[in-house]
Amino acid sequence: MKGRYDDENLKWIPILIIAVYLSPFLLKSATFSYKYYLYILNMAGIYMILTVGLDLLSGFTGLMSLGHAAFLAIGAYTSAILVDQAGLPFELSLIITPVIVGLCGLMIGFPALRIEGMYLGLTTMGFGFIVKRLIIAFRDWTGGSAGLQVSKATLFGFTISNDWNNYFMIYTFAIIAIIVARRIVKSKLGRVFMAIRDSEQAAQASGINIAKYKMLSFFISGMFAGFAGVLFAHTNHFISTDHFDILLSVYFIVMVLVGGVGSIYGAVLGTLFIVLMENMFIPLFKDTLTQYMHLEAGDFQAFIFGLIMLLFIIFQPMGLYGMWLKMRIYWKLFPFNPRKRFT
Amino acid sequence: MDNLKIQNLHMNFSGVKALDDVSFKVQKGEVFSLIGPNGSGKSTLFNCINGFCIPQQGSIKFENVDLLKIKPHETVKHGISRTFQNLQNVPYMTLLDNVLLGAHRRLSMTDTFNRWISQKEREREEAMALEVLDFLGIANFEKKYLSGQPYGIQKLVEIARALICKPKMILMDEPAAGMNDQETLEIAKIISEIRDILGITVLVVEHDMNLVMSISDRICVLDSGKILAMGKPVEVKNHPEVIKVFLGDEAHA
Ligand SMILES: Nc1ncnc2c1ncn2[C@@H]1O[C@H](COP(=O)(O)OP(=O)(O)OP(=O)(O)O)[C@@H](O)[C@H]1O
Ligand SMILES: [Mg+2]
Repeated sequence: MKGRYDDENLKWIPILIIAVYLSPFLLKSATFSYKYYLYILNMAGIYMILTVGLDLLSGFTGLMSLGHAAFLAIGAYTSAILVDQAGLPFELSLIITPVIVGLCGLMIGFPALRIEGMYLGLTTMGFGFIVKRLIIAFRDWTGGSAGLQVSKATLFGFTISNDWNNYFMIYTFAIIAIIVARRIVKSKLGRVFMAIRDSEQAAQASGINIAKYKMLSFFISGMFAGFAGVLFAHTNHFISTDHFDILLSVYFIVMVLVGGVGSIYGAVLGTLFIVLMENMFIPLFKDTLTQYMHLEAGDFQAFIFGLIMLLFIIFQPMGLYGMWLKMRIYWKLFPFNPRKRFT
Repeated sequence: MDNLKIQNLHMNFSGVKALDDVSFKVQKGEVFSLIGPNGSGKSTLFNCINGFCIPQQGSIKFENVDLLKIKPHETVKHGISRTFQNLQNVPYMTLLDNVLLGAHRRLSMTDTFNRWISQKEREREEAMALEVLDFLGIANFEKKYLSGQPYGIQKLVEIARALICKPKMILMDEPAAGMNDQETLEIAKIISEIRDILGITVLVVEHDMNLVMSISDRICVLDSGKILAMGKPVEVKNHPEVIKVFLGDEAHA
């Protein structure tokens, strides 16, 4: 009987951790431009924390959000102001800022009790515009449209000064975020979220207060985004409204979708996939294609991501994680013509 | 002893009278069936008891609790759980998790982070869920995802979810709909056992006449929101109005 409930797949965690901490060393020995790759990986790590939280909200609870770039922005600016202007230690900001952003999420959660689907997407997008305006309006604190310089992170007296150090800090937190998200998903909370997504009636009949848990989902998702925001501000050292464009919110959704909605590892995979695509593969053939198609560089990216999302929705609705699961079944059954089992 | 007391219930959906002056009482430990043609207001009655619909007039009392004053998610607290006419499940969750959903109220938040603190609680509920699944004859499936399971099993999982709430009364909306003869017999047995072994009052909506006649203590016949007849199965079966409505129904079909 013992532990029957704990079907949680923990055996991957140690492998994941070793791989994560080993890869910068491998990169360093493999290529001279490892610093560039590290920078990209750091970006992916920060986004990962956010998309895992977004997946909890959109994938598990079924509440669409196009406002997560704004949550990231609030996190980044709040931390920058708290640390650089109010003189709070970075460690404290790591705790306070996510709570503040979580509360912002709660605020957005209110309309979510009444509206659904695409309309909720539009409302949260509107929230994104408002936040952007507010950042420009409060230029005394935020530097307005000129942007804001942010100090380096210091963790327990140790200054995180370069991308090498950033990598270890970001991925330590990313791993924690993933584990926390997995715990949430595999516990009572995860069941409640999925029940709200799939059948509000069943949820209510089981004694679940839907309003309460929708708000909680927004709060938790906001916390993850706020956490990512803190890391973003203090590893990028410069933030401006351009970093938190509305399009970024859409990319976050694409990351979750490509990875596989409703799976934490899926969100992680999707984020890695999209960030690597954006920074390593698209640049390879961007020049030639923009020449033929008369597109601006930015438009080109949007075009490619739109295409990727479409292809995934049509051909692989379960996302990258779903592909992996199928592959696993395939190898498990290998010699016995497993092909028929998943077409 | 009266358990559920419904008085002068009126429910209008913008002109459509779904329930029209419905009153009846259900005794503790009874299997009480609601029958009637499509659209006669059976599910609406369940929704009123459950708090999904708020009737314009009338009262619903369960053990002296005014059910019209409480929210849908609170009905479980007062000992009422239900299943639905259309499957209301979480397909991408295992059978066990679907059942555990019903144990929501007994699990604390520490379940998420302090697995060591809530280990006992978890194991208790899990054991209970398995017991319920065993009671319904679908143990050994508990690790499977619900999405690929046959319709019959999904229906049973809903009953399991309603049972793990430890209700005093269970509302079942067409538990045998879409099931074959074998499965319908199984359902009949389960309903009787829920009452006999678990001591739960059962309110059931069903179209299958054989099933209704064999399990019910009393039957209430609804037609366009009005009560047409009520009484023991034999009485209802031979009631002239009922014969008219149901034969008319069959003549149309
Ligand atoms: N939420 C609603 N809004 C508007 N009308 C409704 C609603 N729910 C039910 N009705 C109407 O109330 C009437 C009774 O519906 P109800 O679902 O209670 O019937 P039923 O007896 O359960 O029928 P069936 O055997 O098909 O399940 C129908 O005319 C239906 O159209
Ligand atoms: Mg009905």
